[in-house]
Amino acid sequence: MVQWIHPGLVILLGGLLIPFIPWRRVKLAYFLLLPLLGLGVLVLTSMGYFGPLPAESESLHKWQLPFLQYTLTLVRINKLSMLFGYIYVIAAFCMNVYALRVKNDWEHVVAMVYVGSALCAVFSGDLFTLFFSLEMMSWAPFFLILFRGTKKSLGAAIRYVIWHHFSGVCILAGILMHVHGTGSIEFTRMPWGWGGEHLAYNLMLLGFIVNSATTPFHSWLSDTYSEATPSGSIYMTAFTTKTAVFCLIMTFSGVELLMWLGAIQAVTAALLAVLENDGRRLLSYHIISQVGYMVAAVGIGTPLAINGAASHAACHILYKALLYMGAGCALVVVGTAKFDKLGGLYKYMPIAFWLYMIGGLSISGFPLFSGFVSKSMTIEAAEMMHSPIIYLLLEGAAVGTFLHTGLKLPWNIWLQGRDEPSPEIRARLKDSALNTPVTMLIAMGILAALCVLIGVYPKVLYDMLPHPVEFVPFTTTRIFSAMQLFIFTFLGFWLLRKMVRGHASYTLDTDWLVRIPGMMLVRFCKEPLMDFASALDRGLMRTVSAVSRVGSNPFTAPRLFGRTLLLHAEKSVGTLLGRKYAERRSMSDALLENLRATPYDENRYRRPIGGVAALALLLLSLWAVVNFWA
Amino acid sequence: MLRKYPTKLLWWVYFVSMGLSLLLHPWLLRSEILHHHYSFQYLPEFFAAFGLVGCMLLILVAKGVGFFISKDEDYYEKRSEK
Repeated sequence: MVQWIHPGLVILLGGLLIPFIPWRRVKLAYFLLLPLLGLGVLVLTSMGYFGPLPAESESLHKWQLPFLQYTLTLVRINKLSMLFGYIYVIAAFCMNVYALRVKNDWEHVVAMVYVGSALCAVFSGDLFTLFFSLEMMSWAPFFLILFRGTKKSLGAAIRYVIWHHFSGVCILAGILMHVHGTGSIEFTRMPWGWGGEHLAYNLMLLGFIVNSATTPFHSWLSDTYSEATPSGSIYMTAFTTKTAVFCLIMTFSGVELLMWLGAIQAVTAALLAVLENDGRRLLSYHIISQVGYMVAAVGIGTPLAINGAASHAACHILYKALLYMGAGCALVVVGTAKFDKLGGLYKYMPIAFWLYMIGGLSISGFPLFSGFVSKSMTIEAAEMMHSPIIYLLLEGAAVGTFLHTGLKLPWNIWLQGRDEPSPEIRARLKDSALNTPVTMLIAMGILAALCVLIGVYPKVLYDMLPHPVEFVPFTTTRIFSAMQLFIFTFLGFWLLRKMVRGHASYTLDTDWLVRIPGMMLVRFCKEPLMDFASALDRGLMRTVSAVSRVGSNPFTAPRLFGRTLLLHAEKSVGTLLGRKYAERRSMSDALLENLRATPYDENRYRRPIGGVAALALLLLSLWAVVNFWA
Repeated sequence: MLRKYPTKLLWWVYFVSMGLSLLLHPWLLRSEILHHHYSFQYLPEFFAAFGLVGCMLLILVAKGVGFFISKDEDYYEKRSEK
């Protein structure tokens, strides 16, 4: 019997065939089929078709290959990887539905490579396979950003790759040092601490937190995701940061530093989102903020917190894709997601609005929506740590989340207290309530249904979590406090709504600290460094020509040099005495020319040198004879 | 068929739920139905105050920070052309 079929490889390799299918309908059907095949494999695995699944906290290892003196474990199946696997393929299916209207086949190929390599990463059982998958993953978004085809997107794509190669190099260095020190390549929990002996783990941690966009390394996310193609950005919301969270859960759960970094990340991103004018940049900040909850939960590290991180990652993938699709609808239909240009779209895109709102309420953690059943787990775990600051930071971030994704964004795009959009936006809309392409609405509908399903019946999610769940989300305390929090957040928003209206602006972030020195470096290379190089070049050429002149006739060179010096001296003295030397000068010039043109004559000095040598020999002999007799 | 946003209905729902939540909280606290971890969570209307103050504080602080970091849309493009 087959050991296992790797859903990641099915999607990755299957995706490469897409451009070679000649019939468009078949091609699209095949594109939709790929994630379904992956889902089918996972369902068969859950049913025990490939052998019985391991008990809690144990893993099933498959596809082991010898490599150098190590054994690669290409596949390790446990509850956590199955959860991420399921969510990845389900999300990928909805994203593919959303992307059906994209004409560029290569965008589909890249997206499938992205999904496939993310699946390879969560199912990898050793550090080499993990690193290889992460590297492959870091290239796919480069193309998803590049395909937007604008000048800005080109820059963003390059910055994306630079950031992810930085993190990749950190992870690789950490892995190599770890393997060198311990001889083990198992992808498992790592020790952590400050100081030189933990350098390998600190490097690995640094790589993972750059990938999970943890403060202060968060700015690559808002910078690049908002420049991708409308459907490409949907894929990007799901895989990179959540795979990083998966890696953190596997390797660094319970590292207290992560708890603080995560909580700060959650609040900082919620704060910066206030200033955003671009819908997709605002949502990017809320990816950062929500990943902050997961990172904080990983840092807390109790079974409840790890369940919280895993379930929040799962819910987050679903509702964030939904939210990005909502903002993407505006981008696709009217060509912009900037708040200062939008507003009053409700009449023309009401279904997209209400589906978006399901995502908005989910991310905010409204009771009966998916965020509530996962976020409350993390917050409960934080409360149990008896660390009120972490609790208040996370609760504050929840206020910010509802303020932006639940209120500011929908209000700015669809409402702004207007019934009609501005005339130039109106010109791009049909007189219908169905301006959004139907495939997009179907994709959003499926995701919205999943958000509500998990929110109403959380058992479907809880049964898949890595630790047994005793947590009950629906208590009077939790429901009541959440509702009261949101009701009054709305009041605060309504009072200050004029302050959150969009203005054409760009918010600087921590990447300023890298981009400005980077620009200065480029400018330094372009101007001063190039000037120096050309000066060096000129000097070298002059030296070479002088040397070659001397080399061409070494006998005349000293005279030439002496004559030139003399000429300069005469000229200087003449200038001092006020005489005219034009006539004499032309004579000297003629002499110099003559000297220069004199060819090298090898016989010219042969006799004098021979004579001198003979004379010296004679004298030496005489001296020897005299000494001998004396 | 174009419909307007149901503003009136939603305002009604909002005010009713706001009034209810304000009235219910002291009663829920007194009858010991709510169970929290920290003492400050037992303050009457704590979550209402936290939501309102937190939301306004976020906006105001961000606007303050924005004075320094909010720039032209083409900030980096202009910088790189110079």
